[in-house]
Amino acid sequence: MYRRDLLRTALAGAALGALGPASRAYAATDILWMTWENLAKDDYLAPFFAANDVALTKTFIGTDDEQFAKLRAGGASSVDLITPGLDKVEFYTASDLLQPIDFDKVPNAALLYDTFKKTPLGKVDGETYGIPFYWGINPIVYRADLMDEEPDWSVFFEGDKYNGKLAMRDYALEGIMIAAMYLGIPESEMFDLDDAQLAEVKKVLMIQKSKLRTYWNSIGDLTNLFATGEVVCAFSWVPPYYDLRAKGIDMGMAKPKEGVIGWCDTIAVPKGVEGERLDATFKLVDYLLGPDYGKMLAVGGPYAQSTSAARDMLSAEEQEKIFISDLSIMDSFVWKKNPPRYNEWVALWNEVKAS
Amino acid sequence: MRGLPGQIGTWLAMPVVAALVALCLAPLLILLAYSFFQVDFVAISRDPTFANYVKIAGSETYRGLIARAFGSALLVVAITAVIGYPVAWFIAKRVTGAKSTLLTLLLVPLYSGDLVRIFAWRVLLGAEGAINRTLMWLGLTTEPLAGLLFSPLATHIALTYNYLPFMVIGLWLAFESLDDAWLEAAADLGAPAADRFRRVTLPLTSPGLIAGGLMVFVMVAGDYLTPQLLGGASGITIISAVNDLFGTAFDWPLGSAIAWTMLAILMLCFGAGALAIRRTALVSEGV
Amino acid sequence: MTTPDLRAETDGSGRAQRPLLEAKGLYKSYGEVDAVSGVDFALDGNSYVTLLGPSGCGKTSILRMIGGFEEITSGALTLDGARLDEIPAARRPINTVFQSYALFPHLSVLDNVAFGLSYRGIPRSRIRPTALEALKTVRMEAMADRRPRQLSGGQQQRVALARAIVNEPRLLLLDEPLSALDRRMRKDMQIELKDLQRRLGMTFLHVTHDQEEAFALSDRIIVMRNGRIEQQGRPDHIYARPNTAYVADFIGGAVCVPGEVVDRQAVDVILDTALGRFQIPGAPPLTAGMAAVLCLRPENLSLASDGLPARVTHCVYRGSDWIVECESAGQLLQATALDTPPPPGSDVKLSFDPARAWAAAAEQGVSA
Repeated sequence: MYRRDLLRTALAGAALGALGPASRAYAATDILWMTWENLAKDDYLAPFFAANDVALTKTFIGTDDEQFAKLRAGGASSVDLITPGLDKVEFYTASDLLQPIDFDKVPNAALLYDTFKKTPLGKVDGETYGIPFYWGINPIVYRADLMDEEPDWSVFFEGDKYNGKLAMRDYALEGIMIAAMYLGIPESEMFDLDDAQLAEVKKVLMIQKSKLRTYWNSIGDLTNLFATGEVVCAFSWVPPYYDLRAKGIDMGMAKPKEGVIGWCDTIAVPKGVEGERLDATFKLVDYLLGPDYGKMLAVGGPYAQSTSAARDMLSAEEQEKIFISDLSIMDSFVWKKNPPRYNEWVALWNEVKAS
Repeated sequence: MRGLPGQIGTWLAMPVVAALVALCLAPLLILLAYSFFQVDFVAISRDPTFANYVKIAGSETYRGLIARAFGSALLVVAITAVIGYPVAWFIAKRVTGAKSTLLTLLLVPLYSGDLVRIFAWRVLLGAEGAINRTLMWLGLTTEPLAGLLFSPLATHIALTYNYLPFMVIGLWLAFESLDDAWLEAAADLGAPAADRFRRVTLPLTSPGLIAGGLMVFVMVAGDYLTPQLLGGASGITIISAVNDLFGTAFDWPLGSAIAWTMLAILMLCFGAGALAIRRTALVSEGV
Repeated sequence: MTTPDLRAETDGSGRAQRPLLEAKGLYKSYGEVDAVSGVDFALDGNSYVTLLGPSGCGKTSILRMIGGFEEITSGALTLDGARLDEIPAARRPINTVFQSYALFPHLSVLDNVAFGLSYRGIPRSRIRPTALEALKTVRMEAMADRRPRQLSGGQQQRVALARAIVNEPRLLLLDEPLSALDRRMRKDMQIELKDLQRRLGMTFLHVTHDQEEAFALSDRIIVMRNGRIEQQGRPDHIYARPNTAYVADFIGGAVCVPGEVVDRQAVDVILDTALGRFQIPGAPPLTAGMAAVLCLRPENLSLASDGLPARVTHCVYRGSDWIVECESAGQLLQATALDTPPPPGSDVKLSFDPARAWAAAAEQGVSA
């Protein structure tokens, strides 16, 4: 079974070339966007095509890593727009796969929230390569009917009350970030942990493991575990909170004061895209940061766009849902970043799980 | 002398053989090459080195996970063998009319896909699951048994269930070619039932046991979904670790090296199995 | 037909002591089908007995019930007067030579032969020499280290024999043991089997469909048909005095001319046939009015100056004599001639000695 996965990743690039052009409709300019399925719904994009003589081919990705593997394996020349995570842009720029964003062609970028303007992520030497596109937080989600109080990160490290009823995402980066936040390591050091800090992190992660019911790998699975009561509290994504409330389960969502893990995906243009295709691509980028798309994403996702373009068009409830009613929450965000010693993080994470 | 039809067969087989080599062998060889490279962030250095293999040998985690994979595989082989023997015997020797129906039924779970079976086990073994509800209804326990699900127990139950058919098929084939006269002869010569099994049935069905066992062994060693979704906090496998290395860690060389370590051990097992089958009487050729 | 043949009983060597094995009302059915429909027979010690009959006649079922591989549906089997039914195959002092030999393919010849010895309380150190001794008996000691696959059919046969007799069973069962061998090998093995039985003083019960084999080997033959015993007795007796046309036909050699018994006089019957009316010895059950056949064997029928008028249809030279096929009153007959017979189409006369002719009960469905 593992061979299949490895093959998929290794051969993804080769397959891409064959996939691309054949499926494009005829229009003045064809562009290919590699993205998540829920971001490229036809109705989200309809106003753009109504206004522009551009045809779009969509290639959907399953994981960020898969996208990177495809690009790296030689698919860059045929793709016009990709959707890497903010913390992953570094991989692409280090591999020299991207070209800088031409802000002259993306006027809506002026509406980016400050935190996205200021972030050093996605940038090299002052040039932006991955422009923040949409974002959210990964909170703690819990069964409010089965827990007495709103939990914070310490619930995964202290006390016996919820032993065997907790779940943690099986992801080294976030797992170690949470441990670091629990240990009070400031964000400035969080991604550059030294050996002593890593040892400390490992110690508390071992304690955490003994309290877990399981590590989760898919959000659907976690939703299931909440619903059946196997898990009462987990480091989660937002969807189970809304999905299970809709089913009548009293769910809670906690944004721990020690720091909330924020995530953000960017859009980036591969090197080699030029001429009319490049122009059409930037037009699409501008649309994706604009009000029409932003409103539909906020209502349909519900996800928040990285610009304030659509904010005023949303009701208070809709704003609340995507965490933009009170913008100060962004100050407590800890944005995911790629640690320089990430291989060691992964090794540590595996050590904990294998112990 | 090979006639024309033989040559035609050879020519017809060539594209298939070529495709097999290209699709199976080539990626593995690419992986092998990668296993001697090194990675620095996103740059892969192509200076051949054994560093990855040294790292595996020196890492308690990877050594432990590899040992755990093969330990689990052996355990499941043993359990499926114990269950598979009577089942295979029954199908081969006691069922006449409904044989193909039974064999099909045996395979039905395989058609349902990994995930469906895994979630079916969740339903059975969960805290709110059928088994716990029954136990509590019977008054045998007051609290649900949490250890039923998300534990090595759950993993091994599901693995056994998943791969039992392969063992049964292997053993069934062996039993089909096991002449009843041999067992009658053993009884005739005074051997009690246990001895008939040990001295006749076991050695004469061993090719099926080895073939079925190898299949189960390989599949259990390569299954990461079942432990991941049923094993709970200790559901990590060497395969999911490789997955991490190829994915989030972008350490293809180390991932390749682990994959090849596994592959080499599996090939050794296959070699030993093939040798063992050759040495049993059923396929040995006269001098 | 199930009536015990009293003459056959008295033909035996006088059974003073208790028989080794006795079957009474032995019955075996598989669901609706009766394989063995109540048979009675007895086997003496130190004798060679053949169960003879076509395939499906129940002879193998009898053997398997004795061996312990099939349950008895009803009736009884006793060995040395003790009931056998309750004893599992593994504990019966009986061994079998299987039709397919059933040699263990994963064991050497020696290990095959030694297989049963560990269950007979033989000390470990004696097992190998004892097995080798048995292999010597069948002249296979040179092959001791071979695997069965590497042996010819005849060699496998001998190993199977050694594997059975090494356990010194009270009774040795042989299930069509020679059927897989070629004709030449079969003849040799027949002699060896008979010789072995005599040397060991064991009782052999041998199942076969080959009447020649039965005659060559047996002290006593049990002829089976459709799950019943048709006739049992000494080979020469069965040959000369078949109870029924079926036995006469199955044993072979005899030409059976259909007729009707008109009278019974002591051992003789008066029989009316298409060839005429004859007074000849006849099977005991025959009485006036019964359908019967006149059994004429070639060696009892010769060309003569006077007798039955017949026409030669075919001549076969056999070396020592000729078989002359003739037609008389619509019946095909076979006679022997020491000298060259007249060519086909010639008119001849045939005569026979009525004392050596035989009347057997006729039956439906059996061609004369």
